[in-house]
Amino acid sequence: MQENQKHLREAAEKLLSDKKVDVIIGYERGTLPLRTRPVFIREPDETKKLVWNSRCENNLSFYLKTAKGKVGIVAKGCDARSIVGLIKERQVKREDIFIIGVPCPGIIDRKKIEDTLEGRDLQEGVESDSQVILKGEGFEEKADKDKLLHSSCTTCTHRNPVLYDTLIGKEIPEPKMDEYSDVEEFSSKKDNERWTYFNDETSRCIRCYACRNACPSCYCPQCFVDQSLPTWFGRTPHPSDTLIFHMIRTLHTAGRCVDCGTCSRVCPMNVELQILNKKAEKDVKELYGYEVGTNLEELPPMATFKIDDPQEFIK
Amino acid sequence: MKGKVIGKEQLAGWLDNLREEYDVWAPVKGNGLVSFHPINSASEIYFGFLNTRKTPKDLFFPQSEVLFSFRRGEMEKDRDTLLEKPRIIFAIRPCDAQNLALLDKVFDSEDYQDPYYVERRKGTLLFGMACTHPQTTCFCTSMRAGPFEKTCLDLLIVDLGNDRYFVEAVTEQGKDAIGKNNLLEDAGEKDTERLAKTKKEAEEKIKSKIVIEGLEEKLDKIFDSSLWDRVHQRCLGCAICTYLCSTCHCFALLDEKVDSGGQRIRSWDSCMFPGFTLEASGHNPRISNKERMRQRVMHKFNYFVKNFGQTACVGCGRCIRNCPVNIDIREIIQEIDNE
Amino acid sequence: MNDLYRPKPVTIRKIVIENEAKDIKTFELVFLDREDRERFKFTCGQFAMLSVLESGESPIGIASSPLDDEYLQFTVKRYPTGVLTTALHNLEEGTQIGVRGPYGNFYPLEAMEGKNVLIVGGGFAFTTLRSTIRYLLHEKNRSRFKDITVLYGARSPGELIYKSQLKEWEERDDISMYVTVDKGDENWKGRVGLVPNVLKEVAPSSKNSIALVCGPPIMLKYTMVPLLDLGFSPQTIVTSLERRMSCGIGKCGRCNISSRYVCKDGPVFTYAELRELPEGAL
Repeated sequence: MQENQKHLREAAEKLLSDKKVDVIIGYERGTLPLRTRPVFIREPDETKKLVWNSRCENNLSFYLKTAKGKVGIVAKGCDARSIVGLIKERQVKREDIFIIGVPCPGIIDRKKIEDTLEGRDLQEGVESDSQVILKGEGFEEKADKDKLLHSSCTTCTHRNPVLYDTLIGKEIPEPKMDEYSDVEEFSSKKDNERWTYFNDETSRCIRCYACRNACPSCYCPQCFVDQSLPTWFGRTPHPSDTLIFHMIRTLHTAGRCVDCGTCSRVCPMNVELQILNKKAEKDVKELYGYEVGTNLEELPPMATFKIDDPQEFIK
Repeated sequence: MKGKVIGKEQLAGWLDNLREEYDVWAPVKGNGLVSFHPINSASEIYFGFLNTRKTPKDLFFPQSEVLFSFRRGEMEKDRDTLLEKPRIIFAIRPCDAQNLALLDKVFDSEDYQDPYYVERRKGTLLFGMACTHPQTTCFCTSMRAGPFEKTCLDLLIVDLGNDRYFVEAVTEQGKDAIGKNNLLEDAGEKDTERLAKTKKEAEEKIKSKIVIEGLEEKLDKIFDSSLWDRVHQRCLGCAICTYLCSTCHCFALLDEKVDSGGQRIRSWDSCMFPGFTLEASGHNPRISNKERMRQRVMHKFNYFVKNFGQTACVGCGRCIRNCPVNIDIREIIQEIDNE
Repeated sequence: MNDLYRPKPVTIRKIVIENEAKDIKTFELVFLDREDRERFKFTCGQFAMLSVLESGESPIGIASSPLDDEYLQFTVKRYPTGVLTTALHNLEEGTQIGVRGPYGNFYPLEAMEGKNVLIVGGGFAFTTLRSTIRYLLHEKNRSRFKDITVLYGARSPGELIYKSQLKEWEERDDISMYVTVDKGDENWKGRVGLVPNVLKEVAPSSKNSIALVCGPPIMLKYTMVPLLDLGFSPQTIVTSLERRMSCGIGKCGRCNISSRYVCKDGPVFTYAELRELPEGAL
């Protein structure tokens, strides 16, 4: 990863010096232990700020919606799939962006670190190839990175960007696995168990809309929850309104969500509804043979009609 | 008055006695989050918390509350009381308690007293738990307070790091809460020595600093600075920083339909949302994230100071810890200072 | 519980459609409880929150005069995305709605005594100015003020509001009326021209004068220039602002312009005050 960080900085510097891009959106070191954050770099000598590691958790394609000029963007596997989606949905023009692809072995979930710490304050953290060292008042512990990976990353089959203009480092092997075993397990639960799960999760929601705002697919100029005439939804964290907000968001991003996990990572209240997004992703794949964000040609299934589309739902 | 001490194993007995008269709210852990809940037994309390994820401001100013109900165009009768029993909030952190002094200025101002806030505030005793393990994101000592701050508290409780808590009454009501109980005994010389040491150590642990002296004047001068173009860039425009903030108190009044009629509701709102200032005509005076981020910073460190003589921040660090893109208010204040 | 947020019930006694587009109506309201009207003590320039259950509330300037003690009048423009304004426009005479207030500060009526008063209004933002004109012209008050000049403009003849009242005022000799439209039509025989330009033509004296100005932001901005040229000092130019509001009492935190709350410190500000606010109101 250290090696890739070096290559990334070099590539970025060259792009800016050659004036191939006006800005590079990447990651820099954050102000908190183990944190990185999005950064906008416009000068070649600032490219040394760029970092690449297992804590580059944000999906930067979010920023393409408002970026101006020619934009260089650092993209992990999932981010690149989001970008493909945005190009297909005509939110971004292919020629306006330069994708700096980075193969990604998985991103560490801050919440798993929190769980490991059990309430203790993290004062310092160091990442190595396979481990993370966590330090604080009166403790120093090692944790395996594998065990800290975000759940989206553990079932990711597109670690390498599907679309890029330059690739940093070499492609890494894509794992072979049953990526939907968790969905199947969840689907096999009794109705009331699933109902309880969703209610429990959404009951913590504070309607801060971080999940929606961070999502690359959520770009509606006015979200259905914000409309005043007609007012579709209550604006308070009433259980039914909150549950329906999340359900509709899932449906609206079905066939577009790439399971990057951003919505779950940004949630301040640990609301975990990814299983729902993943179920939608699985259904789209099975029903329409469509894998989101993997190519620029295939038409998005929710925006297309074919005469032989499955229609069993019409009864 | 001299302080009292109570053995840790006696605490449950004391709280049980208090529960006869009061609803006791305390930090409880669930789903990886610690938050305040009414307790039935001291065993439910989670003492290992640094601070709660959400602030306890919602015990006074809930995220959403019904102001009145209506049915077929008629408003229903007023509610009589909000609290069935007086409350004790046990183990509130000093920063979150101090925050209520700021909210009092808004909701219990001379011209208009918000009846909902005021009633909850008057019906609640605050038992603070001194912060012996401040976090790296804490900067209360920069906000004219500290981990042992007593503002708004009725009692300050300090974990002495051994088998005892030090208990100091701050108000008459706090004194009464101690006085009714024989589980607490007078503190000895060793206890007070230990108290002083614990306090000093806690204060020294707080390394984060921001400088608020001169900040208001500085902000007057940089309203149109390009600084705002930079600091908002990575902002997602969500409401985490405002909803998890101790001091943020902006709200909306809105009507919601329920089965048989409707309710007028007061609900938290956030200056980070575009709709916050969007007018019916379609005009929006704060058109982008830049204006909204500036409003958040200006409100806390300039406008509130002008209107109420204090900075609207207690240094709890929640906005720093929880921002998904790591926007750090300490850094913004530093940048403002550098301008 | 003394609830600040609870509206007082009123009945819509009369509805007048004010413009050709039919999206501006004046609602005449009577309190169900006479004592509520007595408690509702207001002065020209203040506003109230109008409330339709299920559709929420909106801040609306009071268009009747404080001396119209039987009723209150509010002129409301309907916006396609305005929940309350749309709901209100769908109501019929005789319906019960709610009012809470009055809120905000008011025009400097005391400071205007013994002075010439210039009133400049644009479009639909003429409501609290109308309240003021009615108040100034009242037989009990007229002698306390010197010359009263009113300049009122709208986009087209059909968009002029309070038409019968305008006519009434034009026929009086104790007030100088100038009504203008941006663009006339075949029936319009009056003045044509933008408010700032007509102001330059009319050129009222700034000596011993106070100007009250209300209108859309763009008109306000361009009216300040001729006013200053005519010699009005920023302290003698008074305007009233609008912002989205929820509580009306300085708590909900949304209507501020810099540190000043439009609901509580305003809506009436002098141009001198506004120029001091970095966030910029105009």
